[in-house]
Amino acid sequence: MQNNTRHFAAIGVLVVIFTFVVFWILDAVLKFPLAASTQAGPIDSLIQGHLWIIAFLFSLVVVIAIYSLFLFRRREGDTEEGQYIHGNTTLEILWTALPMVVVIAFGYWSTVVLVDITQRPDNEIIVNAEGYQWGWNFSLPNSDAVTQELVLPVDTPIRMDLTSKDVLHNFWVPEFRVKQDIVPGRTTYLRFTPTIEGEYRLICSELCGLNHTGMIAPVRVVSQDEFAAFWNQDVQTASSK
Amino acid sequence: MSLFSLGLVRAIVGQILGMLTGMATTMLIRVMLGLPAWAAEPSWTVGAIFSIIGALWAVGALSDWAKWMKGEETPMHHGPPEGKPAWTRYFGVDYNHKVIGVQYTVWGIFLLLVGGTMALIFRTELAESGRQFLSLELYNNFIGMHGFIMIFAILLGIGGMANYLVPLMLGAEDMAFPRLNALGFWFNVPGSLLLLSSLFIGGWDAGWTAYPPLSARGPIGYQLFFLGVFAVGLSSIVGSLNLLVTILQMRPKGMSLFKMPIFCWAVFATSLIQLTATQLIGLSFLMVSTQRALGMGFFDPGLPGATLMTGLGDPILFQHLFWFYSHPAVYIFILPGLGIISELLPVFSRKPLFGYKWIALSSLAIAIVGFLVWGHHMFVSGYAPVLRYAFMYSSLLVAVPTGVKFFSWLGTLWGGKLTFETPMLFVLGAISVFLIGGLSGPILGTVPSDLPLHDTYFVVGHFHATMFGGFVFPFFAALYFWFPKVTGRMYNETLGKIHFAIMTPAFWVQTLGQMGVGVMGMRRRIADYDPTLGGGSIEAWQLSITIAGFLIGFGVLLMLWNFFQSAEVGVLAGDNPWRSRSPEWQIPSPIPEHSFASPMVVHGEPYDYGLPEPYVAFAAAGDD
Repeated sequence: MQNNTRHFAAIGVLVVIFTFVVFWILDAVLKFPLAASTQAGPIDSLIQGHLWIIAFLFSLVVVIAIYSLFLFRRREGDTEEGQYIHGNTTLEILWTALPMVVVIAFGYWSTVVLVDITQRPDNEIIVNAEGYQWGWNFSLPNSDAVTQELVLPVDTPIRMDLTSKDVLHNFWVPEFRVKQDIVPGRTTYLRFTPTIEGEYRLICSELCGLNHTGMIAPVRVVSQDEFAAFWNQDVQTASSK
Repeated sequence: MSLFSLGLVRAIVGQILGMLTGMATTMLIRVMLGLPAWAAEPSWTVGAIFSIIGALWAVGALSDWAKWMKGEETPMHHGPPEGKPAWTRYFGVDYNHKVIGVQYTVWGIFLLLVGGTMALIFRTELAESGRQFLSLELYNNFIGMHGFIMIFAILLGIGGMANYLVPLMLGAEDMAFPRLNALGFWFNVPGSLLLLSSLFIGGWDAGWTAYPPLSARGPIGYQLFFLGVFAVGLSSIVGSLNLLVTILQMRPKGMSLFKMPIFCWAVFATSLIQLTATQLIGLSFLMVSTQRALGMGFFDPGLPGATLMTGLGDPILFQHLFWFYSHPAVYIFILPGLGIISELLPVFSRKPLFGYKWIALSSLAIAIVGFLVWGHHMFVSGYAPVLRYAFMYSSLLVAVPTGVKFFSWLGTLWGGKLTFETPMLFVLGAISVFLIGGLSGPILGTVPSDLPLHDTYFVVGHFHATMFGGFVFPFFAALYFWFPKVTGRMYNETLGKIHFAIMTPAFWVQTLGQMGVGVMGMRRRIADYDPTLGGGSIEAWQLSITIAGFLIGFGVLLMLWNFFQSAEVGVLAGDNPWRSRSPEWQIPSPIPEHSFASPMVVHGEPYDYGLPEPYVAFAAAGDD
C-alpha cells in the first residue's frame, strides 16, 4: 500500500500538470469566431467551464491509463497473474456521486445562462426573416419593403421572427453564437443583441436541399441612425426595382 | 453445382422478381381504377414491399414456416447442406448460430467498406475549398447514404458478435429460436440492397435524418430507403427478441445473471432498447412514406401552392418520433462495444474485472436513461422552450453511468500484468477514442453551449468518436480476438499492430479536426466551405482530416488482407491462445458443429484470473 501512495501522489501531480497543458492546447486550437453579441459572453464562459472539465477528466483517465500501462506491463519471464481485486464499493459510489454533482452543477449554470440569454428585454425591435430554397428575405413589421441583406442596429435587442416558405431552415450568425430552426407553418423566434458594428454572414445550418451549402445572406450591423436611414430609403429603392 | 444453389443469388433474383410483381400488381389495380397504368411513387413503393418478401421467400428463410402451415414436419438440419460444398452454407439459410454470426459479420464488413468508400469520396471533395468533382445532388445523396449504410453495418456487426458469442458464452447449443435467427439475418440482405439501389432511382437528399418536409418532396429514392430501413428494423426486432429469450432462458445451471460473461449484459441492455425503440423509426419513416404515396399529411404544415397537402400536420412531430429511436440507437451501437472492452480487459490484464456489477448495471442504466434524452437533438428545433431544460438535465445524467465504466476499466488495469497483443491495443485505442467522444458530449448537452455548436462539424466529430470508440475499435478488437476461435488459426500479429499504429492516431486527427472546424463555424452537410474560417487555417485542417480518413481506410484493408491470408497460412492457434476463462475458449477451435460435447457446469466467476478454480467445466459423458 505504501507503494501505491507514492504512485497516487505521482499521478496526482501529473494530472494537475496535464490538465493545464490540455486546457492550454484546447484554448489555442479551438478558434471560436469573434464574439459579437451580448449573448456570446455568458455562452463563451460556459464553454470555457466545459473545456476545463474536459481537460481535467481527459488528463485523469489518460494519465492513470498510461501510468498503468508502464507500471503494470508484464516483465519478461513473469508468469504470475495480476492482483486479485474484485472491486471497491466505496470507490464506485464515489465516482458515481461526484460526476452526478458536477453534471447537476453544470445543469444549474446552464439554466441560469439560458434564462439570461432568452429573456425578453423592454426595448427590443422585431425583424422578420423568411427562409426559402435557397435564399433569405428580410423585412420589418408594418413595412412592405423587402431586402436580401440583413441590416441590424448595434446595441439594440433584436427579436427575429422566423418563417419558412418551404422546408426547414436555420438562422445562424456564428459571431452571435445563438441559432434557431425555422419551421414551415409556424413562426419561431430568436433573441440576440449585436454589439459590434461590422459585416457578418447569415448561414442556414439545417439541411434544406440541393443548394443548402449556398444559402447565405450578408449581415451588416450598423449604428442606430444608419439603421433608421437604411429602412427609410435604401430599402424602398431596393424593393421598387 | 448451379449458381442458383447459392441462397444469396436466389435472394437477389427473388428480390428483383418480387419488385416486378409488386409493380405489375400496382399497375393492374390502377388500370382497374381507370387511372394511367404507370405512376412512379406507388409502383416503386409496392414493388419494394414485394421485393423484401420475394427475397426472403426465394432464399428459403420462410419455407419451414410455410411447411408447418401445411402440416409438414421440418426436422432441424445440422451441418453443411447435403450434396453441396461446405462453404455454401454461408451463402444460404443456415440455422447454426455460428454460421449466422459469421454471415452478419461479413455482410456488416461489406457495408462498412461501401459506406467508408462513400465517405472517402466526399472527403476528397472537401479536402480543399471550392467545388471540385461532386455535384451538389450526389454530395447530398452520399452524406445520407454514408450515414445509413454505416448504421446498417453497425447493426450487422453487433448482430454478428451477439449471435456468435452469446450462445457460446452461455454454454447453449444454439439461440432460442434458430429459424427466427436466420430470418433475422436475411431481412438485412433485401434491406441493404434496397438502400443501395435507391441511389440509382434518384437517391434521397435530406441526410440520414430525412426530416420532412424535405424528405416528403424529394426524389423517389426515399421510398426504397424507407422500406430498406423498415426491413433492417424488423431484423433488429426479431434478433433482439431472440437474444433476450436466449439470455433469460438458456443459461446453464448455476449461472445467475451476475455470473454471466459481461458481454452478455451489454447485449441484454442493447436488445432491450432494440426490441422497444426500433418500432419508432419504422413508424416515422412509414408516416413519411404514406404522406408521399397516399397524401396522408402527418408532417405537412400546409403551405400554399403545394399538392397532396392537408395542412394539419407538423414537421416537428417527425423529429420527436425519429429521435425517440435514433437517440437510443446510439446506445444500441455502443453498448456491445463497451461490453467487448470490459470482456477483453481482464484477459489481457490477468485480473478480475473491476466492479462487475457496477459495469453490468451501468449498461442497463444507460439503456434506460437513453429513452429520456432524445430531445437534445431538438434544442434548436422550435419545440416548447421548457423542454430544453428537461432534456438538458436528462442528457447530462448519461455522463454518470458512462463515467462508472471508464473508472472501472482503469481499476481493471491497475495492478494487472498487462500484455499488448493486437486485441488489447484496439481495446486501449477504443478507450482513448471513446473518451474523446464522451467528453465532447456534455458541452452539447447544455443548451447555451450547444447553440453555437449544434449542426456544426463539432457534432460530426463528437459522434464519430463515440461510434469509433464504442463500435469500430471494439469490433476490430473482437475480430482479432475471436479470429483464432472462428478459423482455428492465428492472425499475423505484426500486421495487426501496424493496423493499430496507423488507424489510432489517424482517427484522433480526424475526429479532433472535425471538432476544430466545427468550432470555427463550419456547418454539417455542406459541399463547400468558406476558406477564410479559422483565420484561413481551415483548409489545412480539412486536408488533414481527408488524409486521416484514407489512412483509416488503408488500415481496414490491411486488416482484411491479414485475415484472408491468415485463414489459409496462419499458425494453428490451439484451443485457448489467450488463456481466457470464458466458456468458448474451453472447446476446440474451430468450434465443431455441436459446440459443446457435454453439458456445461458453472463452478466459479467469469473473471477470477489468479484463482485455480475454472469458471466452467464440462460434465464427463454419462455423468449427470
